Amino acid sequence: MKSSVIIPIAAAGILVATTSLAYWIYQRSFVPLHGHDAHAEVAPYIPAKTHEVHLHPNAETPAVSTDLKNFKGQPVELSCANCHSTKTPNRELVDGTDLKDFHQGLTVVHGERSCLSCHDSENYDNLHLADGTSIPFSDTKRLCAQCHGPQHRDYEHGSHGGMTGYWDLSRGPRVRNTCTVCHDPHAPAYPQVMPAPFGAREPAPKHH
Amino acid sequence: MSDSNPLKPGVSRRTAVKALGATLGAAAFAKAIAPLTDWAKDQSVDDFLQKHYKELDLEAKQKVFRRLEADTKEQYGADVTIHDPQAIPGTKFGYALNLSICVGCRKCAEACHVENNHDRKSNNSYIRVLEMDKGSLDLANGRANYDGPVPKKNKFYMPVQCHQCDAPPCVDVCPVEATWKEPDGIVAIDYNWCIGCRYCEAACPYHARRFNWEKPQVPTEEITPVQGYLSNRIRPQGVMEKCTFCMHRTREGRMPACLEACPTGARVFGNLLDPDSEIRWVLENKRVFVLKEEVGTKPNFFYFFDE
Amino acid sequence: MNKPASSPSEHHIPSYLQFLRKMAFLSTEGNWMFYAWMTFLSGIALVGLHAWGIQVREGMIVTHMSDHVSWGLYIANFTFMVGLAAGGVMMVIPAYLYHDHDMHDVVIVGELLAIAAIFMCIGFVVADLGRPDRVWHMIPGIGKFNFPISMLTWDVIVLNGYLLINLHICGYLLYMRFLGKKPNSKWYVPFVFISIFWAISIHTVTAFLYSGLGGRPFWNTALLAPRFLTSAFVAGPGFIIIALTIIRKVSNFHVGDGAIKILVNIMRVTILINLLMLVSEVFTEFYSGGSHTASAQYLFFGLHGFNALVPWIWTSIGLTVAATLMLLCPKVTEHPGMLITACILAFVGIWIEKGMGLIIPGFIPSTLHEIVEYLPSPTEWKVSAGIWAAGLLIYTLALRVAIPIFSGEVSLEDTHKDD
Repeated sequence: MKSSVIIPIAAAGILVATTSLAYWIYQRSFVPLHGHDAHAEVAPYIPAKTHEVHLHPNAETPAVSTDLKNFKGQPVELSCANCHSTKTPNRELVDGTDLKDFHQGLTVVHGERSCLSCHDSENYDNLHLADGTSIPFSDTKRLCAQCHGPQHRDYEHGSHGGMTGYWDLSRGPRVRNTCTVCHDPHAPAYPQVMPAPFGAREPAPKHH
Repeated sequence: MSDSNPLKPGVSRRTAVKALGATLGAAAFAKAIAPLTDWAKDQSVDDFLQKHYKELDLEAKQKVFRRLEADTKEQYGADVTIHDPQAIPGTKFGYALNLSICVGCRKCAEACHVENNHDRKSNNSYIRVLEMDKGSLDLANGRANYDGPVPKKNKFYMPVQCHQCDAPPCVDVCPVEATWKEPDGIVAIDYNWCIGCRYCEAACPYHARRFNWEKPQVPTEEITPVQGYLSNRIRPQGVMEKCTFCMHRTREGRMPACLEACPTGARVFGNLLDPDSEIRWVLENKRVFVLKEEVGTKPNFFYFFDE
Repeated sequence: MNKPASSPSEHHIPSYLQFLRKMAFLSTEGNWMFYAWMTFLSGIALVGLHAWGIQVREGMIVTHMSDHVSWGLYIANFTFMVGLAAGGVMMVIPAYLYHDHDMHDVVIVGELLAIAAIFMCIGFVVADLGRPDRVWHMIPGIGKFNFPISMLTWDVIVLNGYLLINLHICGYLLYMRFLGKKPNSKWYVPFVFISIFWAISIHTVTAFLYSGLGGRPFWNTALLAPRFLTSAFVAGPGFIIIALTIIRKVSNFHVGDGAIKILVNIMRVTILINLLMLVSEVFTEFYSGGSHTASAQYLFFGLHGFNALVPWIWTSIGLTVAATLMLLCPKVTEHPGMLITACILAFVGIWIEKGMGLIIPGFIPSTLHEIVEYLPSPTEWKVSAGIWAAGLLIYTLALRVAIPIFSGEVSLEDTHKDD
């Protein structure tokens, strides 16, 4: 073949290849890779919040269990007020180390608090807020939120505290942990746990 | 060059040796391909001829799902139902992870393992949790095979799973379009179309894709019976799989299994297009970052610290 | 010998059938060495086939690949073989562009090597697939072919195209020689020129497969495609020199010294450039340091106590340097022993560099910086050996048929004499 034929053909081929390559690179760099924005024409899906968000478990008023049974055979439990209504509140007490009857084992690792920072001395079956308002134990979250504002804010916006159920509250409910499910109020630091053995091991041993 | 001497009658010695060689060769060949014929017996013609998911109409899909349900019953002894929930219009899923409260318990990895009917022998999970040194975001300083009580002092924990990227390299490199990005952002795989070349596994910067090196082993009683065609049905041998943000759950409005299992609530999931969603609040109020941003994958999985 | 090319087309059907018959006959004819060699290769190929059957049945768990190192010996061999296929072009250029007479006589050796090598490439890719029964998914129209975005689809096109081009060129030339006719240049010369560019493209596209992955910093370098080409043009000519030397010994095919001299000169240049590129990579990786050098660290010096590949890469460098020194000797073409040794050293050195030195370190550490090492399993060795044996089988058969036809020993007239 004569070079006067080859060279123009080769030049044309290189020109075509280069142009295609340049166009392809341009497409990939500057044009969105996956077509037009599919969401531009469709209205965002904003579900109506028709289902509830339950707290789990509903924190109960604590009681002391005894070995006694009532006439129905149910165990007898004593409410806090049972004993404390007859005692003088001790505002200095911070934990149970100096106590002689009951609550001796109680250790408190929760900042510079005293027992009565949270427990209501006028009604030991309740807690109290900073301004003295008496609140039931089921409302514990309000009390925690008073000091732990950022965590409470995060909790309310879904980025703190476990939950199960539906992200789409128009289709189903959600159940959320309350603070005391993970944080023992007397020693709220999250405990250490042993990690589950998944997604961590090196690949399974091979057989031929 | 002739091989038979016209003076010598009959077949020459050379031809006889050649015939013997050919016979032995044929026998050896049959023996050699015995495992293949064995394997071919278990394959079904319908399976072989099945078209790509995007080319199946509703009727064809139902046929496929019924066949797969029957296969699962036969091979694993479990009664399952295979669904195909479609993307909710107006959704684009995003996931955020709070690195301040993740304690590294790997309950998310465990839930993923159970929900997605993973092979039990390999303890597989789509989620890999890295134990990182406080003070460094370099993955080179992380390790996945940590043990002992967690969280440890001076460490933080970073679960990594498929980020459902907006510019996914895995989708680009697949030669047969077995993986693609769905309208709600999830990158899906048609397990019955994948040829198992593992190019996507090489391309993913986040170690998000897994390959079925053998047939998954799942005990009958542990199989999650409500399954999605593109998500948690039991995958066949030799194909790729990955986290699908539990699309069989999330497209029905439920939370992904990993989020439900997280005891501390470090995981946040929702519709990025909904201005009232929790995920949007996190993106707007927390300092979020993504992994390997410079690679240009545009992930939809965001990490943040509380302080 | 040179009759006018004027036969009407009806004559081609019987003579083409004669041609095929003669080829089939020739391929089972030879001396005891030929039979021993072919039986040996067939045995290994059958072992490989059986091992692959087991792999298809049991799953790829029978390999030592994992979700961390998800490509191994198969893709390493595939990458190397693409280079070998492209290496044939180093004969085509002097033969056709520069009308070197010596090279023109033996260029068929390089073109047939390209055919055998591409078959091996296809073999390695199919062996690496998790679902080889689904290969039809790649056929455009029937399946879904992700062209032009996926580089793998480019690779499928260029490799199959290169195979077809070389099959056509070799088939046409052989058939014309068999007929005793002068080949019509318009039926093969354009394809030869296309094959020159196409050979460059097959290895460039294969390199782009790796260098296009942003998540793999060890591969994501502009130098990858040039390195591929240079190493192909070391290994290719090296293999061809060995093949030509063997052909000289076992047949009366005339192999001119000029052809070998050209190949040696090519190797002298490309092996030096290859070393230079290695130095460039090493400097770029290690001067600044940082996490992106982790793979290079692992390969050359070991990382966090893992150092399985360190002896391999240094051996490869040693072999390549030794081969360079031998090839640079002015008198190397006069000492066939030294030349063959240099070619073998270069060939092995490049093989290690492509396999252990490129594919595996791309996966170690993983994208999450975990280190899981890889050494091939017995199944992988068997399958790979089987494919190598099958490729050598194809190459031997091709030469066994082509050389008598090219040297004029066998032609259509002879078959008429036999009848």
